[in-house]
Amino acid sequence: MSRFTLSPPSLGRRQLLKLGLGASAASLLPLSSVFANTLSTKARIVILGGGAAGMSMANRLARRLSGATITVVEPRELHHYQPGWTLVASGVWEAERTLQPNAKFRPAGIEWVQGQAAGIDAGQRRITLADSSTLDYDVLVVATGLQLNYQLIDGMSPDLIGSNGIGSVYASLDAARRTRDAIDAWLAEGGGKGIFTSPQTAIKCAGAPIKMTFTTLSRIKAEGVRDHFNLDYFTGGGGMFSQPWINDFLKQRFDRENITRHHSQYLSAIDAGAKQAQFTSKDGSTEVRDYDFIHVVPPMSAPDFVKDSDLIAQSGAFQGEWLDTDIHTLQHNRYPEVFGIGDVIGAPINKTAASVKAQAPVVEANILAYLQEKPLPARHNGYTSCPLITDIGKAMLVEFGYDNNMEFLPSFSFIDPKEESWSAWVLKDYLLQPAYYAMLEGRV
Amino acid sequence: MTFSLAGIFSVLSNAIQPFLVLILTILAVLVAVQFTARIRSYRTKAHQYMPAMIVALLVGASSVWWLPLLTHSQLAFVTTAIDWLALIAAALGVALLVWLVLHPLSYLIRGPR
Repeated sequence: MSRFTLSPPSLGRRQLLKLGLGASAASLLPLSSVFANTLSTKARIVILGGGAAGMSMANRLARRLSGATITVVEPRELHHYQPGWTLVASGVWEAERTLQPNAKFRPAGIEWVQGQAAGIDAGQRRITLADSSTLDYDVLVVATGLQLNYQLIDGMSPDLIGSNGIGSVYASLDAARRTRDAIDAWLAEGGGKGIFTSPQTAIKCAGAPIKMTFTTLSRIKAEGVRDHFNLDYFTGGGGMFSQPWINDFLKQRFDRENITRHHSQYLSAIDAGAKQAQFTSKDGSTEVRDYDFIHVVPPMSAPDFVKDSDLIAQSGAFQGEWLDTDIHTLQHNRYPEVFGIGDVIGAPINKTAASVKAQAPVVEANILAYLQEKPLPARHNGYTSCPLITDIGKAMLVEFGYDNNMEFLPSFSFIDPKEESWSAWVLKDYLLQPAYYAMLEGRV
Repeated sequence: MTFSLAGIFSVLSNAIQPFLVLILTILAVLVAVQFTARIRSYRTKAHQYMPAMIVALLVGASSVWWLPLLTHSQLAFVTTAIDWLALIAAALGVALLVWLVLHPLSYLIRGPR
């Protein structure tokens, strides 16, 4: 490892322009609060993934490191604001509102490899890309996101979304659009059986299956035909939500809204032609249900090439499925030069963009410390946030963390996480997306 | 979760961006009417025109109903204290804005009163 020195920052023209927007505001601040010191290093840093976590880390590290080679591996040119997909599928947002070019957020001075990672040799510190080229690293940031395993539901394929009464907001922006169309078509039928599912694995945005249930219910009620629709919710887990108070609230709300809850039963097969879904219980017994509309949430895991590497958890709750990281320092448990961030890590909760917002400064500080061979100073408290939509037009801003038994961690003291409010809805509808983009730029 | 001042500024600048044209248009109308009236000797306190005040109050009051609709919501969902505080503040802002345009406009159309 080379010698490292701390020095004042050097900023690119683009970064200066962005900050220059707020020249008057910035002038109110002491310079040290705006610009942290940079670290001079020759380290080769590879960031796998250019989504919320990868882009955020690229911006943060580009700002804090000088002389480093920072390479981001990401095949996509467009950035999707995925937290907006439930609003697209609910008919509230136009799909285009969730799209931005990656180039808008990409920092200057980094290398962007537009390709797909295919393998990680943790022992050799080497990444293999789909075109068989390789990248060597001194520090690796695994920010790949996760993999949707629709194939684990017998008979299910993302191609089916939008037809035969099948919706699934997770697969893609186009799938969110097709889910909206499927719900529209179902509502136009004037009645029927609707099934909403949540799988047996950890999932990203764990509130999304619940949000889709509530927004669809909201649309049914708005039509004044609630009695014509039967709604069932199947979850592979024992509860509805990780946060205990919200879990109880949701159970009561579902019961009050006459949505039948089925716990510890996951969607195991689907017959699209017959519009039948098979659910499997923990004891292995199965039950087949007819439906007119079904919202499918697939099982999820780390991407296959991460699962096939030595970076995957070897034991415990995340064994074989998720990245083996310390849930507080976000450093890999066996390879200290590897850090994980975002959906891919093995953590009790945390597969949200809001978690990335909290994780990114921790990973940044700990990478800088690692490069200087210092103890890791930053700890992640498991913060996550779910703007839980309970009706089209109101929501609860549920913020909590995995330390201290999932206690609430509200960002705004004046917004009660236990209350449904218009304010929380307005935050979801108008302010969280700008906050997300500021996070990508490493500003939040 | 904490936000730095630079972070808050970054969020707000991103939030305003989709509405920039609308905001600039409203500001342009406001500045144009105020400026034109003032170079023709309009003074806020000296000019009396009650209908401008009444219309501004009506628009402000009605905004309590239509502002939630603009946000894909409805008045029935405005329930918490912070909801009402935000809505009333926004309605007052709407009323003030309408008055700041209509009052000098009435001076320009009807002359000094």
